[in-house]
Amino acid sequence: MSAQSISSGYLVQQVAQQDREAFSQLYDRCSSLVFSLAMRMLRVRSDAEDLLQEVFVQIWRQASNYSAERGTPEAWIVNIARSRAIDKLRSIRRMEQSFVLTDDPARAESSDNVETAAAESEAKMAMSSALVNLPEAQRRVLELAYFDGLTQTEIAARLKEPLGTVKTRMRSGIQRLREIMKMQAA
Amino acid sequence: MATGHEQWLEQGDIYALGALDGQELKDFEAHLASGCAVCEAYIRETRESLLLLHRAITPFEPSAAMKTRVFDQIADGKRVVPITEAKLRKSRIWLRMSGTIAAGILGVVITATYYHYRYEPRHSVYSAVIDLLRDPNTRDVALYGAGPTPAALGRFLWNKSGEGHLFVTNLPAAPEGKMYAVWTIAQESSPRYVASIRTDAKGLGGVHINAAPSDKPIQTFAVTLEPVGTTAAPTGPMVLVSKQT
Repeated sequence: MSAQSISSGYLVQQVAQQDREAFSQLYDRCSSLVFSLAMRMLRVRSDAEDLLQEVFVQIWRQASNYSAERGTPEAWIVNIARSRAIDKLRSIRRMEQSFVLTDDPARAESSDNVETAAAESEAKMAMSSALVNLPEAQRRVLELAYFDGLTQTEIAARLKEPLGTVKTRMRSGIQRLREIMKMQAA
Repeated sequence: MATGHEQWLEQGDIYALGALDGQELKDFEAHLASGCAVCEAYIRETRESLLLLHRAITPFEPSAAMKTRVFDQIADGKRVVPITEAKLRKSRIWLRMSGTIAAGILGVVITATYYHYRYEPRHSVYSAVIDLLRDPNTRDVALYGAGPTPAALGRFLWNKSGEGHLFVTNLPAAPEGKMYAVWTIAQESSPRYVASIRTDAKGLGGVHINAAPSDKPIQTFAVTLEPVGTTAAPTGPMVLVSKQT
């Protein structure tokens, strides 16, 4: 049986039995997914590497908590990664709020940081993405929530839009993603 | 979907996105805790849909060394350590295995120290920095420019004993009546003043720090521009900051 023919669900089951080979295969399969998400959210390679390590150590320790009834392994792993990344982002924001800032904290990096430049160019890559199918206003609120870890209230404040408008855009955007997924599955 | 759940399902979308907050979040979590299978399934589906958003992000591959780092941490006989300790372990391994690189960096640091501290007793600065570098409990933290000084850069050697050394570049000299204050911030703690730092006409500066050890691991290092004598709490703009560590 080739590595690719083994389901991720089976690999997670084996990892729960402390099977290192399965863990290695699961890492090979999902590490770029986690790392790309971490780079998008945290924007600094060293932080993204730390997050990647934390996520896979958690997978190793808590694989037995995974249940196929709760979604695909990829969604489970991404959920772990997002939760940890959001915790980090919110912790950084809390700390930064204790200072008087004259600039956007998210930009508090060196201007020659190629990783930041790459992250900021992502909009250009959206031509092949599901996001391109979303109206700009919907895409914006989804990105702020999903990748930047902002809550609905924070997004409303950031965009200076009524909370109800933000909620509507979020739900409309998600419904559109659902439709896209169903079309792709059909 | 079941009727009567429209309100919950609307909130379920936002919950799955991670954006629900306030009382709505509390109410929805209580609803989930009541065992609503409809909402659980809906959230599961929503999270699968949200994976589509990943297609919009730039793909990045972790370095091969990352896999080794992960396996090192889960290795037999080794307890799973917090990430900050893992960094120190990595640092020890790195120091053992990369003697040539370490020697090179040490040379750079010593050279930098010479230029930054030519007005201080050289041997004492050398010794202190070298001791810090040798100590596996020393962290090497990058600082990035912020606020009015986006081009500034810093490097903070920090030992959990409370001793540290900060190098900065591209940080203009503080205006008359102002100073650059150095702060450490531990988890859920207020910023703690540990030193002030001066820079020369070229924007170079450095300071050796001997502070009291912190009960909690330091998560963030920062430098702010303050009126001379400000040590109780930061009041001015941040000019250098580390990412959370």
